[in-house]
Amino acid sequence: MTNKRILIIDDEADIREATQMCLEITGKWDVIVASSGYEGLIKAAEEKPDAILLDIMMPGMDGLATMAKLRENSDTARIPIILLTAKAQSSEQRQFSQLDIAALITKPYDPYSLSDQISEVLAR
Amino acid sequence: MLSYLSDSKPTPEALLHRMTDRIRQSLELSEILSATATEVRTFLKTDRVKLYRFEPDGSGEVVAESVQGQKLPSLLGHRFPAEDIPQEARELFLITRQRHIVNVAEQEIGISPLLHAQTQQPLNPDIWFRSVDPCHVEYLTNMGVQSSLVVPVLHDQTLWGLLVAHHTTPRRIRPRQLEVVQLVADQVSVALSHALLLSQSRRQAQYEAAANRVITLLHHTPTPALQPALDETVKALQGIGGRLYLPLPQLGTRNQLLITGQQPDPLVPKATSQRVSSGGSAGARSPTVQPLEQHQAWQSWLLNEAPTRPGERLWAIHNLADSQAPPWLKSLLQSQGIGGILVAQLFYHNQHLGYLTVFRQALNVETIWAGRLDSSDPRQQRPRQSFDTWRELKRDQTQPWTTDNIDLAHTLTHHVAQVIYQNRLYGQIQTLNTELEGRVLQRTQELEQANADLTREIQERESTLQQLHIAQDSLKRLSHQNELILESAGEGICGLNFQGEITFVNLAATQILGYAKEAMLGQFMHQLIAPKTSDDLSYEWEHSPIFKTLKHGSHNRGSGEHFRTQQGEYFPVEYISSPIEDGGHISGAVLIFKDITERQMIERLKDEFISVVSHELRTPLTSIRTALGLLAHDNLDVSENKRRRMMEIAFSNTNRLVRLVNDILDIERIKLGKVTLKRQTYDLAKLIDQAVDEMRAIADKKEIYITISSVSVELWVDPDRIIQTLANLLSNAIKFSPRRSVVKVEANLEPKTEKPHPESVLIAVHDQGKGIPEDKLEAIFDQFEQLNVLDDEHQGGTGLGLAICRSIVEKHSGKIWAESILNQGSTFFFTLPIYKIAHDQ
Repeated sequence: MTNKRILIIDDEADIREATQMCLEITGKWDVIVASSGYEGLIKAAEEKPDAILLDIMMPGMDGLATMAKLRENSDTARIPIILLTAKAQSSEQRQFSQLDIAALITKPYDPYSLSDQISEVLAR
Repeated sequence: MLSYLSDSKPTPEALLHRMTDRIRQSLELSEILSATATEVRTFLKTDRVKLYRFEPDGSGEVVAESVQGQKLPSLLGHRFPAEDIPQEARELFLITRQRHIVNVAEQEIGISPLLHAQTQQPLNPDIWFRSVDPCHVEYLTNMGVQSSLVVPVLHDQTLWGLLVAHHTTPRRIRPRQLEVVQLVADQVSVALSHALLLSQSRRQAQYEAAANRVITLLHHTPTPALQPALDETVKALQGIGGRLYLPLPQLGTRNQLLITGQQPDPLVPKATSQRVSSGGSAGARSPTVQPLEQHQAWQSWLLNEAPTRPGERLWAIHNLADSQAPPWLKSLLQSQGIGGILVAQLFYHNQHLGYLTVFRQALNVETIWAGRLDSSDPRQQRPRQSFDTWRELKRDQTQPWTTDNIDLAHTLTHHVAQVIYQNRLYGQIQTLNTELEGRVLQRTQELEQANADLTREIQERESTLQQLHIAQDSLKRLSHQNELILESAGEGICGLNFQGEITFVNLAATQILGYAKEAMLGQFMHQLIAPKTSDDLSYEWEHSPIFKTLKHGSHNRGSGEHFRTQQGEYFPVEYISSPIEDGGHISGAVLIFKDITERQMIERLKDEFISVVSHELRTPLTSIRTALGLLAHDNLDVSENKRRRMMEIAFSNTNRLVRLVNDILDIERIKLGKVTLKRQTYDLAKLIDQAVDEMRAIADKKEIYITISSVSVELWVDPDRIIQTLANLLSNAIKFSPRRSVVKVEANLEPKTEKPHPESVLIAVHDQGKGIPEDKLEAIFDQFEQLNVLDDEHQGGTGLGLAICRSIVEKHSGKIWAESILNQGSTFFFTLPIYKIAHDQ
């Protein structure tokens, strides 16, 4: 049985690296990273990951635009998306919760909690 | 035995002539009569001739007489009673003018009437003899007379008296003698007329003179000499005293009483005089000093007493005893020897003015009678036996008031009344004049007072007006100030009446709503602004907070609502409606509102800022927490390399976090003005050198060469802040420059292009990077604005660097901007003014 693969789309290099390490260590998942929404769309289509960790606030194509594109493509439309947001205000979170997403995780997250959340999403 | 009188010398004609001459020589009656008696006796050669005058009562008196020898006694002054010559005889004397010739010895009487008893026609003057009445004979005999001749003397159609010749011996009278005596009697009649006329004229003259004197005195100026006038009046009326009583018509004035001559006791026993007075106090009996005329009794007496002439108010009372006067008054007057009284009421123009009273003395009148009639004598009807003289004394007789007296009294009374009336009138006029003058004076004073009052009032009013003006001015100023305040207020302010119509609007309200003031006044506020709730729903006026204010007087706030402008656009408002209370009831409301669009935008910006800051802080924290979270796990089974890498990530992100926090705090402090520039004079070149030195290490990493070209100029700046700015710009330049490129720093004096600022320096930091899109050239100076950097070598800036630079430069009154050519490079410029002396903070 092959490992589950997770695509991380985040513009912050340190976050990508740290999160990648986190997922590899805690969940033993294979991790693919993309530093922008655009790159994320390509990698998602190519790799067809089991889940996508998508940062909302990115320069250029932001997380929400990227998610819309992912949903448009039949290859990626069904991949569960876990949104990562650094926005802590409840009004913003309410806005995101209405979207068709698997989970919303607020930065900064506890690495083990993140792992548990992803496991849960993957188990569905 | 009758002896004829000698008819020899003188002749009757001569005698008559002489007699009439003598009569005419005198105008005095007594002389005439005396002469007549003498001449007739001489002519007739008789023993006694007398002239006998009748009194109104029929008695008579011998008023003139001539006696020859001692044969017959003188009877001059003697009175004879009326019975001596009976009424019928007196009438015959008058009517027929008959003459008697009595011869006692022959008991015959010769009668010779001159006129017919019935027809009064003249008769032939014959003498008819008949036997005489025995009584007559006896009367003459007793008188010692034997022969008598009686001729009547008439005056003014009345029997004045008789011319009588007596002789002691019988003798005959011849017709010729009778004729002469008759002529003499006729002459006497004429003389009588003359004399009486004369005396009357004299009396008249006297009275007129008296009246004139009185009138002159009465008309004495300036005031009538009443006292002398009274004196004169009393004298003219042969009084012994008199009084003029003038009650004054006004209350409180004293009555006037003038007196002259004899007066009754002024003390009038009150009990007697005023029986009508009620009450029985002891004082009522004490005598009072009060003018007689003031007594009730006086007036009632005169009411009872018939006036002397009907219709006149004059009472001439000959004898008090016969008057209607009350006994006490009579005795009061009589005790002073007053017997007669004349009272005239002063009356003029229907006004009773007083009384003029004249008193006449009571006299004791002595009458010499020839013989006495003894009423007790049984032989009453018999002729008198004796003609012996006897004297009768009558007491308290008064000289009667004659017609002339009464006329005079009447005239004088009229004058006195007239003068008193006029005087009183004059007095009244004087009083009126005085009163009038007094009133005029008083009125003048009142007018003057009123004038003064008016003047004072005018002054007061002027002063009040002035104060009012001052008050109005200050009110105007205050009102203007209030208006200014209202107009200057940033909030829209609308005054509403009870119906919610706009009665006042300030400038801000018109600006916010976009209407002209005139277009708003009178409009129904609710309709005009068509408010909507925060949920974008319209609502009815009855649900409006303003309506509640007007209805309940409550203060109501509205927030999050929207008002409509004139253009039909809605804007968010915050407002408060407050009631206008006037005398306990709500007369309207004040609506204060403000457009909170800007505030909402600021709030949104603030929210965004917080969101951005939150994001910026969370980003490094995410890396740190992840890395540290993994490291902290007990069972971490990773290579040492990875472990180190985690540490590095945590450490570098911690640094980034520190920088971020510092920058955020820094920019906030600068923006809030909490940073004070520590200015000092510093050389620009030195500042650039220091900044470059700081960045040298980073530049070296990328093998970037930094060139410096700077003027040396003294600046008045905070050197640390300028170095921070330069370092920031250099950092960015290095960050976005390709490896082995050049970063240039240049500083030059700015040409004097910008007045009134003094000279400034222009500093430029130039890189050879990719450049900045034109639309971002301004935005990059905003907070957390970062260029889209896909470069892996991105150093992780805070996004606050340029914002901090702008803040610092602007604090130094400089400007900062960027210019860029894509793919060639960017240049960041900033200016700094060259202050020699600091006058900025």
